Amino acid sequence: MKQSDIISAERNKTEKIFLFACLAAVIISAVLGICLGSVGIPLPELIKALFSGGDTLNSRIIIYARVPRILAALLAGAALAVSGVIIQAVLENPLAAPSIIGVNSGAGFFAVLAMALFPEKISAVPAAAFTGAVVTVLAVYAIASKNGTSKLTLVLAGMAVSNLLNAGINTVTTFFPDSLSGINSFKIGGVTGITLQKLFPAWIYIAVGIAAALILSRELDILSLGDRTAKSLGMNVKVIRLILLLASAMLAGAAVSFAGLISFIGLIVPHMARHFIKSGNSRLICASALMGAAFVTFCDMLSRTLFRPYEIQLGIVVSYIGVPFFIYLIMKRKGGRHGDRA
Amino acid sequence: MIELKGVNGGYGKKQVLYDINCRMESGEITSIIGPNGSGKTTLLETACGLLAPFSGQVIADGEDVHKTDPKKRAKKISVLSQQKSAGALTVRALTFHGRFPYLGYPRKYTDEDREIVEKAMKAAGVYDIADETLSELSGGQQQKAYIAMLLAQDTDIVFLDEPVTFLDINYQLELMELIKNMKKQGKTVVMVIHDLNLAMSFSDKIAAVNNGRIAMFGSSKEIYDSGIIEDIFGIKAYRYAEKNQYFFTKG
Repeated sequence: MKQSDIISAERNKTEKIFLFACLAAVIISAVLGICLGSVGIPLPELIKALFSGGDTLNSRIIIYARVPRILAALLAGAALAVSGVIIQAVLENPLAAPSIIGVNSGAGFFAVLAMALFPEKISAVPAAAFTGAVVTVLAVYAIASKNGTSKLTLVLAGMAVSNLLNAGINTVTTFFPDSLSGINSFKIGGVTGITLQKLFPAWIYIAVGIAAALILSRELDILSLGDRTAKSLGMNVKVIRLILLLASAMLAGAAVSFAGLISFIGLIVPHMARHFIKSGNSRLICASALMGAAFVTFCDMLSRTLFRPYEIQLGIVVSYIGVPFFIYLIMKRKGGRHGDRA
Repeated sequence: MIELKGVNGGYGKKQVLYDINCRMESGEITSIIGPNGSGKTTLLETACGLLAPFSGQVIADGEDVHKTDPKKRAKKISVLSQQKSAGALTVRALTFHGRFPYLGYPRKYTDEDREIVEKAMKAAGVYDIADETLSELSGGQQQKAYIAMLLAQDTDIVFLDEPVTFLDINYQLELMELIKNMKKQGKTVVMVIHDLNLAMSFSDKIAAVNNGRIAMFGSSKEIYDSGIIEDIFGIKAYRYAEKNQYFFTKG
């Protein structure tokens, strides 16, 4: 479908420019992310290392440390942002996001459980995280489906579920301290010390999740209009909603499996993207994926360079930016009581 | 034409409707009236296929509405729901959503779709605000945008739940003219409406609902003559026959 059908030529042009700007931001943040850090790498060396390999210290840093780290940040940012777009549309709740309604914590709890019980099987972690995310998203959906549940109740219920699951993570950590030595980094969220091996098979989950979201973007548009309107337009609401929630759980679970419990990406990025994208969810998904990828990569770069040579966790930087934004959203909504129903 | 046969229904386990039997004809406007909580919206949602009945059947053109494939049903029946979302999409995008039941894969709109959408926006009076975002519009403008979507869906049977809500008197009358045009095109129009004067003046048939049952089904004049309005609303009704207008005072 051509976007020019549903938006004016002027708006179509603005959205295209914005999408290109997002793509440029991804490239710039990735390049900066590789070049900047405790050891600075000049751009010519980066180009040389990427295209002709080499065995210098800098090329080893690039290939074995920075590139996997940047790839992880890009994937985690894109996955969490798209997961947020889906959850907000499916639950018709602008305050919903994987970290807010407990999906990240559900994924985290199952991931930590897998790490504790099967420490040799790294590849089992994404599947466990996906399972945890699915269980949580379905539980939250069951709460949201109850007649009369307000949007605020859903968020509060999600926060309560999130706390419960975090308590579960702490319990597992208490009983398996040896298997979970890096658990603090996991709880804050970050991509320090990541390897390409750890990104497999999570990147496949992310690719499938984003592809499913794009294929069903028109359905997501219709779902955003509310259940009754979606049904009256001939949509099988239950089935489509379930598929989309599974896709969002797959995305959040995959991101959590290697990047830990990074908060707020799924909340703030779709909101920022919506300021520029009005034509529907297909472009919103693309813009959010690119913005999320650029934002997390940029925050990761800040986490390494702000207090150089010390490094703070990526999750901390994201929270410093995300929490004020979340408060801003709540304040902005105070006049909109009539819209406060789920 | 749409016919309800022995319909019992409600939400969850709570029964709201009891033994509903009525027939809404093609080329007619049927209004469902009744006091708050009498089951008007439940009746409309059951009749249009959104809410499955506990028992009984809803037949449209010989087919059970609740057993028809959702996309096929959406090509036959459109609904303007009371609960609407005002998202970050444009009026034009919303109107194009009315063509969703007709879209196959790949999701490409045809020239016919574009033409229908343009006509729908013009008819609903939103052509000039086609590129405005819904969330930035007034309640009345949003209502018009949803009506444009409904027109773009282009179905033979149209259900409207409180269509004049949020609209000023001028557009209320414009909308009623639009509804009369649908009738002229042979469509079956069914609406829930609180404004008794609009309901009685513009409708061919009235379904007066009370306590989940149809207290009476008939023409506006039959309903007026029966005194059912006084009974179920506890008000006094007057008819100005020359202009086919109705007035109501506290009973």
